[in-house]
Amino acid sequence: MLDIKNISVTFSPGLPNELKALRCVTLQIPEGSFAIVIGTNGSGKSTLLNAIAGVFPVDEGCIRLGGTDLTRRPEHWRALRIGRVFQNPFSGTAPNMTVAENLALAAQRGRARGLGLALNRQTRNLIRNRLENLKMGLENRLDTPIGSLSGGQRQAITLLMATWNKPSLLLLDEHTAALDPQSAAQIVQLTNEIVQHNQITTLMVSHSMAQVAAFGSRVVMMHQGEIIHDVSGPSKQRLRAEDLLAIFEEVRRGDQLDPSAAELLRQRYV
Amino acid sequence: MNLLLSALTIGLILSLLALGVYISFRIFDFADITADGSITLGAAVAAVLITHHVHPLWATLAGALSGGFAGAATALLHVRFRIHPLLSGILVMTALYSMNLHIMGRSNIPLISERTLASVAEQWIGTCRGGSPFINFLGWEIPIRDAAMLAAMFGMITLAGIVLDLFFRTHLGTAMRATGDNAQMMRALGVDTGRMIIIGLIISNSLIALSGALLAQYQGFTDVQMGIGMVVWGLASVIMGESLVRSRQLGLAIMGAIMGSVLFRLLVAIALRWGLNPNDLKLITALFVFAALTSPRLLAWIEKRRRAAKQLN
Ligand SMILES: Nc1ncnc2c1ncn2[C@@H]1O[C@H](COP(=O)(O)OP(=O)(O)OP(=O)(O)O)[C@@H](O)[C@H]1O
Ligand SMILES: [Mg+2]
Repeated sequence: MLDIKNISVTFSPGLPNELKALRCVTLQIPEGSFAIVIGTNGSGKSTLLNAIAGVFPVDEGCIRLGGTDLTRRPEHWRALRIGRVFQNPFSGTAPNMTVAENLALAAQRGRARGLGLALNRQTRNLIRNRLENLKMGLENRLDTPIGSLSGGQRQAITLLMATWNKPSLLLLDEHTAALDPQSAAQIVQLTNEIVQHNQITTLMVSHSMAQVAAFGSRVVMMHQGEIIHDVSGPSKQRLRAEDLLAIFEEVRRGDQLDPSAAELLRQRYV
Repeated sequence: MNLLLSALTIGLILSLLALGVYISFRIFDFADITADGSITLGAAVAAVLITHHVHPLWATLAGALSGGFAGAATALLHVRFRIHPLLSGILVMTALYSMNLHIMGRSNIPLISERTLASVAEQWIGTCRGGSPFINFLGWEIPIRDAAMLAAMFGMITLAGIVLDLFFRTHLGTAMRATGDNAQMMRALGVDTGRMIIIGLIISNSLIALSGALLAQYQGFTDVQMGIGMVVWGLASVIMGESLVRSRQLGLAIMGAIMGSVLFRLLVAIALRWGLNPNDLKLITALFVFAALTSPRLLAWIEKRRRAAKQLN
């Protein structure tokens, strides 16, 4: 269970370009559920995920995961329980190291990194088995540097790395956005399989309305650093792409009225 | 012949410097120029202990260890206080200059008449071979002292290379390499990347200080100025090694750094023999690194021009 209470994040506080990227966001995601975050560009989706992961500290509020308070913990401490896949396929893997080495690093998450050999026969077999499940033929390329794989292959491996030891929370930030439609579909399918199979609590940012309609049990919409819509249960199941687009459009139109203009209008008509 | 022998030995000793530079510059992509100070620190600590009649082996180890502290200082400046890597190195290197003078008490300590690793090795082989101060190698009469030192250094550097290669294949070593390759990913995998950098620079500067401690004992003195320009020297060796092995694979890269250091020293010895002014050595070294850093782009540009010309025909 992820429990976020009143978190705010401000970039460049006190400077002319000060920006409130998150404003008192409160969100609870029950154990094992799959929530999708949508919103316009710059609405704070990535900021929310990064704040949960601990990339930067929050100004106020608290973040708890499974009862543990994470608010003051550093990024690498939280990462022992949180798996992450980034938008950029280059971010999730070490390009100059081999497929096997990358996965071995992930397999060691949460364990002491001591002076044992990272890649023994047993680990290699385990890695080969898990790669076979991806059905991408990667099990034959254990010793290839990851940098020479395609974006889709790298995202698949990153996904495998993020979920190797079941995390308490999985954060996916538009992890298919940089891929061609075919690879994107493949990765979404894979994501769904892994998340369903392991019952991983997941928070996924997506720009694809088709994905939003097809996956997850809940949709959270953000705008200007706030959560403005939260749909779950049967209404999420009935949710169509068109409905979402309509809401988006409404929000966007609302945006064109800046606060002072809105105030003038209100004074005149109300 | 003696010239060749001494070039080989110094090349081997400085290959520890090259390995240290390889770890910071290549594995961590951390432009650590503490080396200029830590190589002298290692030499200073070892020399002072030796003049106080500590066994040279312990003195050498203490020298290496002191370099570890210097590396830790640089890494901490960067990791904890978020100072730019280059500036962190400059700060520690500058501070070390005073520290080294304090440790040494003067600017030069002669070691010729002291019991050093060189004299121990000489004694050791001498007793194995009986009285003669020369050893016959393929018809050459080689002073035992030089032969013993070369053999000892060869053994030691081989060992260091193997240990490093193994180390970088362990869980810890792999995590360190990955930190240099993609730090963001390592944090997302639960690794404190700051700690990896600290451990990395400790290892790197220990090797560099060890190189200094050995160099002092081989050349017979420690001088407070001996570290000047050593980072560039190490970098030149690493670059030369890379062009020799043409591989980024770990074991080969380590071997390349060692071979590069020896080859570079040999080339320098030959150039000096041909009448290169020793004062120009650092200038030439810097020019070499400059050429090596820019030549890939230059070659690519020439290749492009050539291809364009071909297409015109
Ligand atoms: N590190 C940062 N420093 C300063 N400003 C930032 C930083 N990261 C994000 N921002 C700003 O915060 C706001 C929210 O950004 P965020 O990346 O969370 O948006 P997003 O919803 O993920 O958008 P997108 O759909 O384009 O990915 C934006 O205005 C962005 O410019
Ligand atoms: Mg984003």
